[in-house]
Amino acid sequence: MNMLSLVTFIPLAGALLVLALPKERVKAIQATALASAGASLALSIALIPLFNRGSADMQFVERLSWIPSMDIHYVLGVDGLSFPLLLLTTFISFIALIGSLGIKERVKEYFFWFLVLEVGMLGVFEALDLVLFYVFWELCLVPMYFLIGIWGGPRKEFAAIKFFLYTLAGSVFMLLAILAVYFNTAPHTFDMIALMKAHSAWSLKFQILVFLGFYLAFAIKIPAFPFHTWLPLAHVEAPTAVSVILAAVLLKMGLYGLLRVCYEMLPLGFHWFLPFLIAIAVINIVYGALCAMAQTDMKKMVAYSSVNHMGYCLLGVAGVSAIGFSGAVLQMINHGIITGSLFLLVGVIYDRAHTRDISAFGGLAARVPIYAGLMFLACFASLGLPGLAGFVSEFMCFLGGFAQWKIYTAISVLGVLATAAFFLRMMEKVFLGPLNNKWAGLSDMSARELCSIVPLTVLTIAFGVWPKLALAFINTTAVQMAGLFK
Amino acid sequence: MNLGSYVALSAALFLIGVFGALTRRNIIGILMAIELMFNAANINLAAFNRYLHPGGIIGQTLALFIISIAAAEVVVGLSLVLAIYRNTDTVYVEDYNLLKG
Amino acid sequence: MLEHVYLIPLIPLFASLVILLGFKEDPHSPAPYLGLAAMGWCLLQAVSIFWGVAGGRIVLPYEASINWFPLATEVAGKAFSYQMPIGVLIDGPAAVMLVVVTLVSFLVQLYSLGYMHGDSRFRRYYAFLSFFTASMLGLVVSNNLLVTFMCWELVGVSSYLLIGFWFEKPGPAYASKKAFMTTKLGDCGLYLALLFIFTKVGSFQIDQVREFATRGYFGMGAATAIGFGLLCGCAGKSAQWPLFIWLPDAMEGPTPVSALIHAATMVAAGIYLIAKTYFIFLAAPIAMEAVAWIGLITAFLAASMALVSYDIKRVLAFSTVSQLGFMMCALGAGGYTAGLFHLTTHAFFKGLLFLGAGSVIHAVHTNDMRSMGGLSKKMPITFLTMLAATLAISGVWPFAGYFSKDMILESVYHHSPVMFYLLTAAALMTAFYMFRLISMTFLGPDRDHEKHHHAHESPLVMTVPLMVLGLLSVVAGAALAHDGFVERLLSFPMPQTPGPEFPRALGLGVSALVLCSLALSWFLYGRGDFSIAEAVKKRFSAVFNVLEGRYYFDQLFLGLVAVADGAAKLAFWIDARVIDQTFVDGWGLLMRVFSELSALFDGLFIDRTVDGFGGLSSDLGTGLRALVADGQVQEYLLYAAIAVSLATIFILSR
Repeated sequence: MNMLSLVTFIPLAGALLVLALPKERVKAIQATALASAGASLALSIALIPLFNRGSADMQFVERLSWIPSMDIHYVLGVDGLSFPLLLLTTFISFIALIGSLGIKERVKEYFFWFLVLEVGMLGVFEALDLVLFYVFWELCLVPMYFLIGIWGGPRKEFAAIKFFLYTLAGSVFMLLAILAVYFNTAPHTFDMIALMKAHSAWSLKFQILVFLGFYLAFAIKIPAFPFHTWLPLAHVEAPTAVSVILAAVLLKMGLYGLLRVCYEMLPLGFHWFLPFLIAIAVINIVYGALCAMAQTDMKKMVAYSSVNHMGYCLLGVAGVSAIGFSGAVLQMINHGIITGSLFLLVGVIYDRAHTRDISAFGGLAARVPIYAGLMFLACFASLGLPGLAGFVSEFMCFLGGFAQWKIYTAISVLGVLATAAFFLRMMEKVFLGPLNNKWAGLSDMSARELCSIVPLTVLTIAFGVWPKLALAFINTTAVQMAGLFK
Repeated sequence: MNLGSYVALSAALFLIGVFGALTRRNIIGILMAIELMFNAANINLAAFNRYLHPGGIIGQTLALFIISIAAAEVVVGLSLVLAIYRNTDTVYVEDYNLLKG
Repeated sequence: MLEHVYLIPLIPLFASLVILLGFKEDPHSPAPYLGLAAMGWCLLQAVSIFWGVAGGRIVLPYEASINWFPLATEVAGKAFSYQMPIGVLIDGPAAVMLVVVTLVSFLVQLYSLGYMHGDSRFRRYYAFLSFFTASMLGLVVSNNLLVTFMCWELVGVSSYLLIGFWFEKPGPAYASKKAFMTTKLGDCGLYLALLFIFTKVGSFQIDQVREFATRGYFGMGAATAIGFGLLCGCAGKSAQWPLFIWLPDAMEGPTPVSALIHAATMVAAGIYLIAKTYFIFLAAPIAMEAVAWIGLITAFLAASMALVSYDIKRVLAFSTVSQLGFMMCALGAGGYTAGLFHLTTHAFFKGLLFLGAGSVIHAVHTNDMRSMGGLSKKMPITFLTMLAATLAISGVWPFAGYFSKDMILESVYHHSPVMFYLLTAAALMTAFYMFRLISMTFLGPDRDHEKHHHAHESPLVMTVPLMVLGLLSVVAGAALAHDGFVERLLSFPMPQTPGPEFPRALGLGVSALVLCSLALSWFLYGRGDFSIAEAVKKRFSAVFNVLEGRYYFDQLFLGLVAVADGAAKLAFWIDARVIDQTFVDGWGLLMRVFSELSALFDGLFIDRTVDGFGGLSSDLGTGLRALVADGQVQEYLLYAAIAVSLATIFILSR
């Protein structure tokens, strides 16, 4: 059964179908897009009971020869690291599609690019051949460029081109690194599983070089300091649903690559880089939070909070322990859910008020209680309130980091404080205090908006109360990964 | 008589033809010089056939072919010359410069 | 009955969710009765457990847990999967705290029926109250430090929601944020302490950690670090110096909420956590000493600030801070029993004082004690119960506070006589400012006729809680102290430390001084004539300014906030200007300049060269053509002949 291929390429079929529909048939286009993303989601959910949680091996593996002369294969497979991310991708894509139903202009192209984007993201998490990985990796870039560049805000062209060039610059180094790896194995291969066993023949110097090549691509995507500045811009200019995808899934590709490629294939390089990685993690956490604190634009604030949260993931990764790895993966999932809902919620208010300036509001809690409640929940989840999703994963990342790096982790705790500070300030300025009469006519959330946000909220609570739901998939793989290079 | 004398004759004839073709001003003369070269070839064919494959007739046959082809060629050539003459009013080739680049 | 003890936190939680999601917002919503019923059930359970313990039918400690989620970890080179058991641990302090928390919460909910009557967000109020209590109860019964911390944070967030309940006013909105942030600042230390504990022993279960700690597994350094981390958290939550700044502002919330925060839930959590992790402090004498001194400083500073405040709730808030300092000091001085005992009795009389203050505010619609006075006749029940509470908090025999405070002073004296004298000074101030409050509010002539005229006794639903708590304020101390019951219930095995015995005469002396202090307070404020007090104030205006400025700790923290804001601005400036615009965009600009230069170079040199080659061959061709191709057929033929000849020569010469 080619389940993974089905999950991946159903959205592509949907995209082609959308392309075939006349552009006036907006309803049909939306329905097609939703149906294909929904089918992909349903299939990926159907994989859950089939997934063997006790095994750290690749599962649902498919292998076809693609370009035999260079030993390039079409290989898909998932393990405890990628399977949760796969689920996150199908889920968030569907949610974001619901959130995109409000798009009015050039609907056909929008949904086409969106579905293509989904294909690329799914492929990155599944590909087990470096060439295939690279192809999917680049496939994400183009739709994103158009989605930001066409449906974005006032500075959309600049944001799009900056995003595109920045990420492409990273990809180039990744390509070099892939080729370097290829030519330094005997026999030459792009097979990631084979490469995970090939590293023992590589010298430290070679591994460091290749590591840096890969790291540059991943660090830009994560985004890790100092390669993060495209993110606030892209987030602010991107339409709501694209911001959701960007934060919830695209950033995870970088961390996934860091774990899958940098850690599993290049252990010497990874360990050489560890002291820098932890420093970058701390900078991401504290500095990201501080930058978020200085924002007046809600969306930009949430964007910087992503920098901060990715710092937690990096902290967990830098711990190089089972607890840190599973914490990092769980944090990726949770961040996807929480930040996804935050962006959707910011989009809701922007649709109504056409501003995201924090100081332009005031006292909204009395006027739009449901919205305020959901926003409070999302903010509290993001600042790591226990009982909501962010806490456990954050704590696990900290546990992972603390075992190795006591001082660094102690500094990062300040980031938690700063995170609380900017979220609370935002809530106070927007929702509390006397009602700003300008917004006396604001309406509360519509059914469609609720449809896109409530599932995320439910998951936020569910993962907070019962983290085992997600951890069950991750743990075995995390343990195996941590034991790789003991 | 041996093969050498035939080949020498044919060579002489051919060179006379080449000389004529290169030096004659009159286009009719040039045509005649070309005919000479044909005939040099014919002599060669007949002689080689006679001395190298005495029982065979291919050389003679080919010579006959060439004679008839040459006749046809003269027809075409003369009619072309006639056409050019009507256009240019001259039979001297140095006045024919349409091929000039 | 203990097997269902896990329901005690879960039922109010459930009630809260049902109220929040299942009811419509309506000033006459029946939702409060659901909250009340849930809390009543919990109260019954708690009391029956307590009764069972008192009667010896229940043997403590009781522990039960389920596995929450697996945590693959590694401690000291040994990898294992920690299953994160969460569950309940009922020991003596937990049994007592259960009663205290459920009782005060129940009474507060009952009281709120009257106090919050007609509020537009009546339903939400009860949902939050239930949630608040649920998280506190979870903190009390949890056997797992991580879950304790989670409940700890939930307590924080529910206090945030309740302090900011009237969020339309800027005051509560600001105060709630301040409370949350200040406690969060302390929580950072707690967070690190938890990380440290788990890294050291690979477990969060209190009894396991305790086992490790008593075996000396932590070592002095680690234990001290952990102790200080815990102290940070507790100082934040229990409003200890220097993190006490949030509590006086927290009274912006509805008064019953203040009662809940000050008596049973929020601030009690810090003291309770210190008690729960007492084994760490026993292993870290320096941290222990720090606890004592922080408590002492807090007790003293807060009491002095209460002396000059005119806001009835603020006086009570400072009083809470000060009393918490007493408890902290006792715990730090080794008086485990004394600290927790005082926590219990304090819950009763402080809850009562706040509810009483709420009753007064309900009647006169102001917080300012200067516009009150002479209310004792109008509000006899409130007056009498509050008087009982005042005598209790001042430590007058035979009221509840006497026993616990006496025990605190005794253990502190045993630890260090210097601390004892400082603490006694704080106790005397307590008596003074509390009776000042009573005097200004209830005694003397009425100062604001308008308000006095409209004042009336509160309805029964509000006075019944007062009476219940009043009764407890009178008898709880004696009852618990009777026959050493409290020592048996609230004790912690620890080695005896040498120290001076507390002379009985000193205790009597303190009691006498307390009475003098009360009398002095009455003399200055109780007779309706403030002239002497005003004269004193004028004479020592510098001191008074410092006290009214709350020792400027708020300014200190505002300064910190400003520093943080500055850092944020700087960070963003660096981010936007240096990293983004200079390096990233600058790189882009550089590339553009480079590409312009490349284009220029391309046009000037490369393209020119290529064109030059083309032109050269073109010119060459033209020239050659003029030379050879003059249209002479015979020339062409000559070339051909030459070529053939050359070829022939070449072939033949090979």
